Amino acid sequence: MNSRSLGRAVLSVPRYTLIGVIRFYQLVISPLTGPRCKYYPSCSHYGLAAVREHGALVGFVLGAWRVLRCNPWSHGGVDDVPLRGEPLFRRQSSTSPEAAASLVQS
Amino acid sequence: MFDTIMYPLEWCVANIMVLWHWLFTAMGLESDSGAAWSLAIVGLVVTIRILLIPLFVKQIKSQRAMQLLAPEMKQIQAKYKGKKDQASREAMQRETMALYAKHKTNPFSSCLPILVQAPIFFALFRVLNYRIEGVDEAKPIGLLTTELAVEAHDATLFGAKLSDTLVGQWGSGNPAPIIVSIVLIIMMVATTFTTQHQITRKNMPASALEGPMAQQQKVLMYALPFIFVITGPNFPVGVLIYWTTTNLWTMGQQYYVIKRNPTPGSAAALQLQEKKEAKARRKGQVIEAASEDVTDESDSKKSGQRQQPKKGAPRSQRKKGAPSTDPKNSSPDASEDSESSDTKDKKDQDD
Repeated sequence: MNSRSLGRAVLSVPRYTLIGVIRFYQLVISPLTGPRCKYYPSCSHYGLAAVREHGALVGFVLGAWRVLRCNPWSHGGVDDVPLRGEPLFRRQSSTSPEAAASLVQS
Repeated sequence: MFDTIMYPLEWCVANIMVLWHWLFTAMGLESDSGAAWSLAIVGLVVTIRILLIPLFVKQIKSQRAMQLLAPEMKQIQAKYKGKKDQASREAMQRETMALYAKHKTNPFSSCLPILVQAPIFFALFRVLNYRIEGVDEAKPIGLLTTELAVEAHDATLFGAKLSDTLVGQWGSGNPAPIIVSIVLIIMMVATTFTTQHQITRKNMPASALEGPMAQQQKVLMYALPFIFVITGPNFPVGVLIYWTTTNLWTMGQQYYVIKRNPTPGSAAALQLQEKKEAKARRKGQVIEAASEDVTDESDSKKSGQRQQPKKGAPRSQRKKGAPSTDPKNSSPDASEDSESSDTKDKKDQDD
């Protein structure tokens, strides 16, 4: 193993740790509380996607911010992880949820 | 760093406990009695849960408008009727959530209320384990002076100290703390289980009770007592008191929601509807609005409304097979209904 791939492996440790934690939550803790998230995708799925897309640091901040936004005062709705290069913290989702839904539709 | 983060929370927890302890002492309990300090923990729960009531009220209010979006919900359901593949499921969820957001209503409670309570619980754990100690080791914080900490440490409830754990007392030869711990663990498990059961089985729309996720949840709900049987013996008596009390409070709140404000489409909503109908029937009037399961995908259930037979009309003139004799329509359990339709759907797909 050369030093570069070793470095890459070390760098990906935080990301895989976070992914492991979120997966643990999804498999063990979440089923106990029942569906309670106001958003689609749910906070844990959002966090998972955010960490995979943006890495541990930015992904964690995005996920934490989402959990805080999911509170009794929010109205929930569709809220996807911003793609790379998109503004990370926008006020309103720029794409209409219907448009996104029609893409997946068969 | 961790101590620095926890310090303010421990300060709050300790102060609230001391204030309640002071109140109970003023009411005549012995200052160094286990009752006063146990009730101080109960008081802590009451304080926290009262502070969290605005969250609870907000959540109830945001569920009120659920009935209004029933027509649009039906459209979505019709669009995805019979489509059980992953992509359609996701698209349907997506559109449903968008609909909630549009109407500024949401049946889900978000996880913030639980998230807020977790650090407080942890702070109490630390106060009981590290701050309330004997003379040499007590660490005063806020209003919790060394004397009070020692007093709380030595106070016994039915012979058990608040900081006693089942594991720590097992070989001590002193039966009282072991018995108290076991009784409290049983109570904690029982209350946790009942609250879970109450929420999931009664106040969830039928559609949320299907699928692999719901199955997993059901399995875990029954596995939960065993998890506590393993972790419970490590909890100090004080933490067990806290947990049991907070469960009882949740049960009360849930009971209120289930009776007065059930989630549309849940078994509890159907029961409330039936109760209202029965009341209206007694007064001799028929009410129109049926609490329909807006999240139920099946169309097979035409209406939960029982048709009133005309007064004075002879038996022969009544419609044959009137819904009053149809066991399906009068079934109080919504999940049964949807389950049967679910299997029917599957059969259709197989054909």
